[in-house]
Amino acid sequence: MAGQMRPSLDDPRVAIPADSSWYEPAPTPKTERQAEFLTLREGEMFVNMGPQHPSTHGVLRVIIKVNGEKVVDLDPVLGYLHRGVEKLCENADYHQAICYTDPLEYVSSLFCEAAPVAAFEKLMDVDVPRRAQYIRVLTMELNRIASHTLFQGWMALDLGGITPILWSFIERDEIVDMLAALTGQKLLYNYYRIGGVNGDLNHEFMSRLGTWMSRAAAQIDSNLALINENEIFVRRTRGLGVLDAKTALKMGVTGPNLRASGVPFDLRRDRPYLVYPELEFDVPTRDEGDSLARYLVRMDEIKQSIRIIDQVLHEMPDGPVMAKLPRLLRPRPGRAFGAVEGPRGVYGTYAISDGSDQPFRMRIHDPSFVHLQLVGPLTKGNLIADTMAVMASLDPVMGGVDK
Amino acid sequence: MDRRLALLLAETFGERLLTPVRQRYDETEIRIALADATDVLRVVHDDPALRFSMLIDLCGVDTGEEMHVVYHLSSSLSGDWLRIIVAGLDRTAPRIASATFLWPGAEWMERETYDMFGIIFEGNRDLRRIYMPDDYRSFPLRKDFYLADDASRSPAAGVRNMERVGTPADATAATLLRKSPGA
Amino acid sequence: MVWNRLTPAGRALAVLLPILAIGGAATTLLLATFGGVIVATIGANLPIVRFLAASVITFLISVPVAFLLIYMEMKIIALMNLRIGPDRIGPAGAVMSVVHGLKVLMKEDYTPPSVDVPVFTLAPVVVYLASFMTLLVIPFAPELTSMGFELGLLYFFAIGGLGVVGLMMAGWSSFNKYSLLGGIRAAAQAISYEIPLTLSVVGIVILTGTLSLPKIVAAQDGSFLDWFIFRQPLAAIIFFIAITAEANRTPFDNTEADQEIVAGFATEYSGMRFGFFFFAEYVNVFIVSALFSAVFLGGSNPPIHIDLHPQILVDLGALGIGLPLIAGLAPVVGTLLFAAPLWFASTRIKGWQALVGGFLIFGGLSTAAVGIWAFVMLPPVASLIWFLIKTFTLVFTFVWMRGTLPRARIDQLMGFAWKWLLPASLLNIFATAAAVLVAGR
Repeated sequence: MAGQMRPSLDDPRVAIPADSSWYEPAPTPKTERQAEFLTLREGEMFVNMGPQHPSTHGVLRVIIKVNGEKVVDLDPVLGYLHRGVEKLCENADYHQAICYTDPLEYVSSLFCEAAPVAAFEKLMDVDVPRRAQYIRVLTMELNRIASHTLFQGWMALDLGGITPILWSFIERDEIVDMLAALTGQKLLYNYYRIGGVNGDLNHEFMSRLGTWMSRAAAQIDSNLALINENEIFVRRTRGLGVLDAKTALKMGVTGPNLRASGVPFDLRRDRPYLVYPELEFDVPTRDEGDSLARYLVRMDEIKQSIRIIDQVLHEMPDGPVMAKLPRLLRPRPGRAFGAVEGPRGVYGTYAISDGSDQPFRMRIHDPSFVHLQLVGPLTKGNLIADTMAVMASLDPVMGGVDK
Repeated sequence: MDRRLALLLAETFGERLLTPVRQRYDETEIRIALADATDVLRVVHDDPALRFSMLIDLCGVDTGEEMHVVYHLSSSLSGDWLRIIVAGLDRTAPRIASATFLWPGAEWMERETYDMFGIIFEGNRDLRRIYMPDDYRSFPLRKDFYLADDASRSPAAGVRNMERVGTPADATAATLLRKSPGA
Repeated sequence: MVWNRLTPAGRALAVLLPILAIGGAATTLLLATFGGVIVATIGANLPIVRFLAASVITFLISVPVAFLLIYMEMKIIALMNLRIGPDRIGPAGAVMSVVHGLKVLMKEDYTPPSVDVPVFTLAPVVVYLASFMTLLVIPFAPELTSMGFELGLLYFFAIGGLGVVGLMMAGWSSFNKYSLLGGIRAAAQAISYEIPLTLSVVGIVILTGTLSLPKIVAAQDGSFLDWFIFRQPLAAIIFFIAITAEANRTPFDNTEADQEIVAGFATEYSGMRFGFFFFAEYVNVFIVSALFSAVFLGGSNPPIHIDLHPQILVDLGALGIGLPLIAGLAPVVGTLLFAAPLWFASTRIKGWQALVGGFLIFGGLSTAAVGIWAFVMLPPVASLIWFLIKTFTLVFTFVWMRGTLPRARIDQLMGFAWKWLLPASLLNIFATAAAVLVAGR
C-alpha cells in the first residue's frame, strides 16, 4: 500500500525518511549548473512539464523552477525521441543515409534531405542538372511555406486560440497533398537523390500548384488577418523574450530567429547554393527580437517564398533531372559540409568519407537543437504562460532536436 | 572560395597548422593541435581581419585512433566558412577546453559530443548526458560501439553487448569495425 | 419455467407490473386516507414546499441546459474551425453531449493516492451546487421565476462566488502542482472580477431602487430603448467582461489553460467528479448569459411592443363530443391531406413514404400553429421565448469568443481588472448617482 504513494520531494509537508525505499531518490547533481538548478530557495517549487503535456511541441520535457507564477529557472530534458540517426547513417550506404535523415524534422523533411544530399554531392563532385536544381528550390520553398503556416497555427494554439491551427492547415494540407502527388509521400518525401531528384514534375503536381498559386497570397493574407490584428495576441508576444543580435550570434542562433534580431543572415543569399543567386528575393528582418518579431519575420518569409516559386516556375529549364551516376557510390576520402537555409535555420550535414560506400562519420546539425537552449534564458523572470509563447516563437521541432 | 583567406590563415597561424590550409568548394579547412585549440579559436573569433563570430556547428569525430573535435564557423565579415579540426585527442581520456567562453551556445553541442563520444570539455558548466539516460554507461558514436546488426562481427561474436560496462579506457581493448586515420 | 422463455423486455415487465400495481394501489389508499392532511400541510408550509419544488426543478433543468450548451459549443466551434463536429449520434450529432454525460458516468471515478479525500470528493459538489443554486433567482418570465425574492441580485453574487471555494478545494486537495496553480489562479481571478462585477450593477440598483431581479426586468418594460444596455452602456461592458472571467471562458480561461497547466484544478479528476466540473462550467455560461439578458437586455420584455390584441379564443369545452372526434380525426385527415400531393408528385415516392412525410408535415405545422397560438395568447410563453432568445444569443457570443480569441495572460488579466474595470465601474456609479441627484430617476 505504502509502495503506491510517491509524494513529490520538494513538498514541505513531506518529511522524507532517510532509509525509505519508496520515495524517488533525490537526484544527485552532476554539474555545477545542475546543482544550482536543483537548489530551491524560499517559496520556489519545481513544475514538471512533459514529455506528455498539451503544449510542448513533441516529446519535450521541461522542468520549470517557479516562484508562484514566475519562472525562476528552467531545464529542458531531451532524448525522448532520440533514434541515433548519426550512428545509423554510419552503418548505411550513401543512398540509405538520406532515408534516415528524412524523419528528423517531420514538419519540413525536405530540408533534412537537402543538407546531406548537398554534403554528399560535394564529396563526390557531382554536378546537379539545372532542372533538378530548380525543382529542388521549388519544392523546398513549398515546404518552407508549409512549415511556416503550421508554425502560425501552433503559435496561436500555444497562446490559447484554437481556430488558427485549423485554418493554417488549409495551406499546409494543400502543399502536402501537392508534394505527395510529386513524391508519393505526404510526410517523409525522400525525394532528393545524390545528383538530382527522384522523378520529374508531373501533371497533378503542376495543376495543383497552379490552382494553389492563384489563391495562395489572398488565402495567406486572410489567415494573417485572423491573428495579426488580435490585440490579445499582440499584447502577449510584444516585448516578450527579447533576444538581442549580439546574444543571438553568441548562442549560435540562425534562421528567422536570428533575422528577427536584426541580423540579415540567410544562407540562400550569403552562401548561395543551387540556383538561389539567380533568383530575386528579399531577406526580411526585424529589429525588435521579441516573440512577435520572430512570428512576423516568418510570415514575411512566406511572401518571399511565394515570390521565389513564381520566378522558378517562369524560368524552369528543360532537361534531365538526374545526373549520370553509378549505382554504388564510393567517394574519395574527404570531408564536406552541406548546409541549407531551412524554415528554422541552418540545416547542416558534415560528412566524412573514408573511401568506402558508407559515410565514415555523418554529423547532423539541427537548428531547433540550438534554439531550444534559448528557452531558459529568454523566459527567466516571466510567467509560466510566457514559456509557451517563447517556445512557440522559437519553433523547435523535437524530431530534429532529438535526432 | 577565397584564396586570400587561405593565405591569411597560413600567415596568422604559421607553424601551428598541422597540415596546409585546404580549400574545396566554399569550405576552408585548417587542422590544429589540441594544445592550440583555445588560442586559435580566440584568434579567429577576435581578429579584425577574420571575425569568425558565428559558430555554425561543433561536433566530435572518432577516427578509431584518436578523437577530433570539429568546429564550423562563419565569418560575419566576408561570409566565408571555416572548418577547424582539432586533432590528437586521446581516445582513452579525451579532454579539450570548452568553447563556451566564446560561444555560450556551444554548451549543448558540447554536451551532445560528451554524450556521444565521452569527450570532456573543461570549462563547460553543464557537462552531462543530454540524449542518453543519466545512468547510461557507454558512448554510442564511438567506433567500438556496435549496432545490433554488427553484433555478430563484434568481439563477443554474436552476443549483443551494445552497452558495455566500464570506462572509455576499457573500450580501447575492443576491436574496431572501421578506422580512418585521415578523417 | 416460464421465466426462462421470456425475453429481457418481458422479464422487465413481469417484475415491473406487479410493483407498479401494488405501488399504485398503496398510493391511492394513502391519498384517500391522509389526502386532506397532506394538502393541508402543503398549504400551511407553502414557502418551504415552493423552495423545495423550485430547487428540484432547477436541478433537473440544469443538466439538459448543460447538454445543450456542450452540443452548441462542439458544433459551432467545429463550424468555425472548418470541421464537421459531432454528426453520428442523433440528427446532426445532437445527442452527442448526452452520450458524453453517460460516458463520464460510466468511467472509473479514480481517487489518486495522497489526495485529501474528503475535500477532493466535496469540491465538485460545491462547484455544481453553487452554479445551479444561482438558477433559482433567474427571472425566466414574470410568472416563471422560481424564487423572486427581494435580494435576488445579491443572492446571485453571494452564491455564485461560492463556486470559487470549490475550485480552491479541488486545487488544494488534488496534490498536484498544476491543480494548485489552477486553484490559486481561480481564486485570484474570481476575487478580482467579483468586485467590478458587483459594482457595475450598482448604477442599475440606483436607477431602479431595488435588488430584485423581476423588478429590474419590470423596470425595463417598454421598447428596447428602455433596456439598461442603452442607459448604462459602460456598466454593460464592464459586466460582460467580468462575467466572462467569472465563468472562466476564453479569453479569461486561465484556471484551466491546457497549454500551461494541463487542466488546472481538474487535472486529477476523472469520471463523474470531473463531469460535475464540466457541467458546472456550462451551466455557469448559461446562468451568466441569463443574468446579463435579465439585467441589461430587458429580460423577458419584447424589444418592441406590438399590441395586436388578438382574439383567438379556443373554447375546447364548447365542442362537447366533437372534441374527441376532432382530436382523433384531425391527424388522420391532415396526414392524408399532406401525403396526397407527395404521392402524386413523383412515382418514385412509395405510399408509406408519402404517408410518413405527410404525417411529419402535419405534425410540424400543427406544432407550429400551437406554438404561435401560445406565443400570442399566453404571456409567460412569449416572455420565456424572448428571454431564451436573448440568453442564447449571449451563449453564442461566448462560444464565438472561444473560437476566435487567444488567452490573456494571468497578470494582464489581473491588471485589467484592478487598473481599468474597477475605476471604470466606480466612475459609472458616480456618474449615475450624480445624474439621479440632478435630474431625478
